[in-house]
Amino acid sequence: MIAILQWTTLAVCAFVAIARIPSAVRGENRSLFFVYAFMTVAIVLSIEAPYLAVDSVLGGVNLANLLLRFIIFGTVFALGLRIARGFGADDALRLITGPPGIAFAGAASVAVVVVFLMMDTAGSSAGLISVYDRDARNAALVEYYGAAGRLYPAYITLALFPAMVRAVRGGLPGLVRLGAALLAVGTLAITLSLLSPVIPASLAYLRFVFSYTAILGLVVGLAAIWLSKILARKMRKAHTGLTG
Amino acid sequence: MPLPAKAFQHWLHVVAPSASTADICRLSGIKRTTLAQQLVRGKVAESTLVSISRALKRSPLADLAAFESYADLAGRPQPPTPAELVSQIATMDLLRAVISRSAPAYGGYGDDGSALTPALGAAPHATSVRNWVDAIDDGELRHRVSDATGVAPQNYSAQLTANRLSPELAVATARAAGVGFTGGLVATGLLTEAEAGWPPEAKQAALDALSDGELTVLAGERLQALGKTLRRQEHEQEQTKKIWENLG
Repeated sequence: MIAILQWTTLAVCAFVAIARIPSAVRGENRSLFFVYAFMTVAIVLSIEAPYLAVDSVLGGVNLANLLLRFIIFGTVFALGLRIARGFGADDALRLITGPPGIAFAGAASVAVVVVFLMMDTAGSSAGLISVYDRDARNAALVEYYGAAGRLYPAYITLALFPAMVRAVRGGLPGLVRLGAALLAVGTLAITLSLLSPVIPASLAYLRFVFSYTAILGLVVGLAAIWLSKILARKMRKAHTGLTG
Repeated sequence: MPLPAKAFQHWLHVVAPSASTADICRLSGIKRTTLAQQLVRGKVAESTLVSISRALKRSPLADLAAFESYADLAGRPQPPTPAELVSQIATMDLLRAVISRSAPAYGGYGDDGSALTPALGAAPHATSVRNWVDAIDDGELRHRVSDATGVAPQNYSAQLTANRLSPELAVATARAAGVGFTGGLVATGLLTEAEAGWPPEAKQAALDALSDGELTVLAGERLQALGKTLRRQEHEQEQTKKIWENLG
């Protein structure tokens, strides 16, 4: 089940990234291509085999995992900026680029690095599972490390949440509203994933469900918006004029 | 509330005893799956009955009246008020009437129309539901409808904005306003004007009876409402364009 979710997410993300190559070559919204590409890289790094390969190059102390966190931070920031501008969400834009946003980015980065240094990170392991299994102290640290890594994405998406709700309730085209709704679902999933450290072990699968629902919500939501643009371009309706 | 399936099937058996469901669907142009679904759910849409009644060359108004919830429609229907009639004239037809009454220098005839003025379009028009409710609203109508039916005022308004109103609400609105029951059914497009028993010239006569001042004010109000709608649509298009520029 979890493996299916992982590979589905990777496939969807990689597909969208590849599908955006032609428009990226044409110079349309190139940053979006990089957002998808980095998201794909992030998912690849959360899967065992590729993670081990990359981490062995970086010295086998799980630096790849730290790298993964910062890829996510950067991607989420770029994405948040685009979404806020697109949806005309000045409130979200202020929260993301203003002092609170910068403070949040700084705090989250420091927290991630500090907790990483506190852990005994020797021995490559995707998802830091071998670190988690080492002892109780390291297990707790892994939990907080994960939560710290989700703090900034949750902040960005929560800042965008009101704008997404407004867009869903407004009179925009159906696919755009669907996209906004999926982005909102992604936001909720990221926020719920912050609770990972307190989710009991018996419900551990929920952690994966939250994380991958979040990524799928974001990617598919953005794809829906992109699709609506392509469809609108294909069947541009004749202007109906004043019929009231 | 749509028509109960049991009563509907009884009605169908009376009016078309030998016709199979397939025949009825073919005649009336209703999809078989649609009818089957409505029967299974136990609720048949009023529009289904009207389509079948029409196909059988019967009177949809009289057939609707045979059902308990539309018993008010039975007997001689109360005719629509002049305001209701005018509300069913499309905005563009009202504007044409304004020009038609203007001086010849502005393309008019200086009188109440001429043989050259095109005939009024048939109801319903793009904003016929809201215009109908506005025409019979004394200021408290929406509250009375809401109290009588339990439909929240914002849901009611949303239906008006979408130029929709369920037949049940249309009848409830007419009852709350104390006007004839056919106005709402015509405004929502369930019945045609002829099916509702409106004389063919009724709308034109009501329009001709408006003074120049009344007509101009009414046309102005309609134009203002239309302008608001168009501005909102334009704003939404701008928003969509911006979203596509950034995320498409």
